[in-house]
Amino acid sequence: MDFALLRDAFWGLSFDGLALGAIYALISLGYTLVYGVLRLINFAHSEVFMIGTFAALVAASGIMGVKVEDDPRTGVSMILTLIVCLAVAMLASAITAVLVEIVAYRRLRQRGATKLATLISAIGVSISLVEFFRIITDSLPREFPRIMEKTFLFSYAGADIRNDKVIVIVAAGLMMFALERFITKSRLGKGIRAVSMDESTSTLMGVNINRVITVTFFAGGLMAGAAAFFYILVYENTSFKVGFFLGISAFTAAVLGGIGNLKGALFGGFALGLMETWSSAVFGTAWKAVISFIILVLVLLIKPTGLFGESIQQARV
Amino acid sequence: MSENVLELTNLTMKFGGVTALNEVNLVVKKGEILALIGPNGAGKTTVFNVITGVYKPTSGEVLFQGASIVGKKRFKITELGIARTFQNIRLFGESTALENVVTGADVHSKTGVVGSIFGTPRSRREEKASLDRALELLDFMGIKKRAGQLGKNLPYGDQRRLEIARALATNPKLLLLDEPAAGFNPAEKVALGDTIKRIRDAGYTVLLIEHDMSLIMGVSDRVVVLDFGTKIADGTTKEVQNDPRVIEAYLGAPADAS
Amino acid sequence: MSDMKSRLNLRDRGAEYWERSPKWRRVALAIFFIAICYALPFLNNPLINTPGSDFQSVLFYPVGMYVLMAIGLNIVVGKSGLLDLGYVAFFAIGAYTMAILGTKTSLNFWEIMPIGVGLAMLSGVLLGTPTLRLRGDYLAIVTLGFGEIVRIFAVNTDSIGGARGIAGIPTPPDIFKAKFTILDPKPYYWVLLTFTLLIIWMVRRMAARRPGRAWDAIRQDDDVAQLMGINTRKYKVWAFVLGAAVAGVGGVIYASQILSIVPDQFNLNISILILACVVFGGIGNVWGVILGAVLLAFTPERIRFLSQPRILVFGVALVVMMNLRPDGILPKKKREHFDPNWETVEESGEGQIK
Repeated sequence: MDFALLRDAFWGLSFDGLALGAIYALISLGYTLVYGVLRLINFAHSEVFMIGTFAALVAASGIMGVKVEDDPRTGVSMILTLIVCLAVAMLASAITAVLVEIVAYRRLRQRGATKLATLISAIGVSISLVEFFRIITDSLPREFPRIMEKTFLFSYAGADIRNDKVIVIVAAGLMMFALERFITKSRLGKGIRAVSMDESTSTLMGVNINRVITVTFFAGGLMAGAAAFFYILVYENTSFKVGFFLGISAFTAAVLGGIGNLKGALFGGFALGLMETWSSAVFGTAWKAVISFIILVLVLLIKPTGLFGESIQQARV
Repeated sequence: MSENVLELTNLTMKFGGVTALNEVNLVVKKGEILALIGPNGAGKTTVFNVITGVYKPTSGEVLFQGASIVGKKRFKITELGIARTFQNIRLFGESTALENVVTGADVHSKTGVVGSIFGTPRSRREEKASLDRALELLDFMGIKKRAGQLGKNLPYGDQRRLEIARALATNPKLLLLDEPAAGFNPAEKVALGDTIKRIRDAGYTVLLIEHDMSLIMGVSDRVVVLDFGTKIADGTTKEVQNDPRVIEAYLGAPADAS
Repeated sequence: MSDMKSRLNLRDRGAEYWERSPKWRRVALAIFFIAICYALPFLNNPLINTPGSDFQSVLFYPVGMYVLMAIGLNIVVGKSGLLDLGYVAFFAIGAYTMAILGTKTSLNFWEIMPIGVGLAMLSGVLLGTPTLRLRGDYLAIVTLGFGEIVRIFAVNTDSIGGARGIAGIPTPPDIFKAKFTILDPKPYYWVLLTFTLLIIWMVRRMAARRPGRAWDAIRQDDDVAQLMGINTRKYKVWAFVLGAAVAGVGGVIYASQILSIVPDQFNLNISILILACVVFGGIGNVWGVILGAVLLAFTPERIRFLSQPRILVFGVALVVMMNLRPDGILPKKKREHFDPNWETVEESGEGQIK
């Protein structure tokens, strides 16, 4: 256990934690949105993220013609490349998310199948996607070219603030803001909130449940796709199994903040990113997943509503 | 010592900003049939939920046979002798009628997991006793022929009767019936009324939520009226029927609401 | 109820035949069936042979082992409705107990077995007591986490082998003439089969009595189960602990056969596979679960020629299966329970109750 490292590099670690947390927050939005409308943990969401990373990869090399060994781009070319990759990743993830809903969940939902059957179906999709990508990548990780020169913008209290991480934090914040506007202001967004609160009444009020659910998955997918791009921008690699641990962490973040609650997902994401980075410094990275799980269990046991959520554990008789 | 099976004293239940029950006082005497009535939303089922431990009251006391049961675990309260049926039928639909009732009868078995595996003489004895009691109760409620049918496949009326049989199987000292006649036709209601009286005659005390006035008048010894979580009347059926506050709460004559 | 009659399924037909049989026929059938199970290793039929791997070895693992574990998990998931995604952890605990005690002490297989089972049960209590009151989905995640934590712990703890695991696990002592060696899986299979039959017997006894009823009630409506006097906490922990015990048995036997274990063997995929066996077969139904386990364990071995996309096929199969038959191949009985004694039941409606 190395507390000295935590103390000495605190601000640097915290900055990194915020960047990681931004990614978690974006992914956890997907979990929390779907949970809100379907009361279901979307097991395949981690693969939605994973596919986003590969889409960004394809966009970079296929569309923009960037190769790993190339020098980073500058100016307009750089901005264009970044935006294209981001857009492609977001779109790919969103479409995947919607397809997942149609293939794995829709029929079961309409038949009123048990939670367990839905869970198995989701796991099946997750396994299939992971395996598919494992086969086509031959179990090897893939590198992402450095599109942007990673420079240290400035230093603060010993922390070196890197430009890519700043972009991630800021961009993530903007996206979350946009999503929040969408949820509160737009008609579809209101539909989502209505269905989250009371599905049967919403139907009676004329809300098209299928459309709401599709939009929910699409929106969650967009956010995951953005997270995927940011992830690959910062860490510069991906593999077929990248989704698993990130997904678990992101889910933990959603629960921490209060599942079903957007603000909670944001807060939970950043909080978890910080906690994980700090604890990695102290305990080493091998135990990171363990720390996440322990946090998850503690939250569920002590305050299952999370920090901002409402209780869904009330008995109803 | 007390002749009161149940005593609610200044019972208050608040959910956030909503006060569902406001300083409710009521008493259920041993061997009586007490009806709890009031307009929809008055808090009647909430009373049941507080008694059975589903909700913890915000303040006030619930005394069962003289002892407080506030904060006790739900299954413990059932063990102590309070059983109930539900406004929306909550049977174990995938189990047979017999299984439903035997599950209720299991409350007073001492056999646990280990005893079941090894088939101890006590476990076999208790198993038989539960089974016999269950069949007896099914017969009593007139649904013995349904014993082997799945709960969800029973006709509506039999489902309601099954719920009562299941509750009786726990051998309660106080039976809470939540709108047991909902959806019944007049003939069935009369039969149900007779059944409730027979239940009382067999030694059970009954607290009954109902909307059908003729059923209530025909069956109850006393009536308590709730409106917006407050008790507005308490007395014999005659007294309550003529109470102007009750009439007002129901907006007119206490007519047959079904 | 005509819609039920038209959905008469295999399980119900079988159950009906069984219930109408006099005792002698039932005993004969049981003995016949059990004898077949013991004789399975000698079967040599091209239809069921497994190319690429030894049939007898496959019979032991994965077929026999998955059947055992599926029966165990069925108590937790199938009967009680508790979503457990970390079942492999208990299997691992059994296996590691065998490995550690086998290599570090002079205890033999039979002496280690109760310890392994005991440790698995203890873990079941420790994990279950705080978490079993969580809602279904959350319980799934937490148990998944537990499974992963056990594996990560094993990988990172050098005193129990770390990532390289433990090798040199001793084989069980000879029983009469039967020798337990790596070359011959038959004795292991028979030991496994014997435990499995014993456990099936125990599970069926519990299921027909109070615990089974309590678990059914908990699965269908936990809140109402409590209101009917069932201490749901106690029964949920019991289900968990019994499931863990069964997995522990499997783990001990497994380690003593495979002679060396590494932590990455005990991964999430196994938990999911066993869960799939339970769901495929028909939740709650012991025979369905066994059938599901046999199918899911055997088929990939049978189609080994599809070795690369095997898991992919499996994943797709899960999705297809759930969408077409969410209740499994042999779902729990949908028809009424038949009992000849009730045919002549009269309805009095005027009976007295005490």
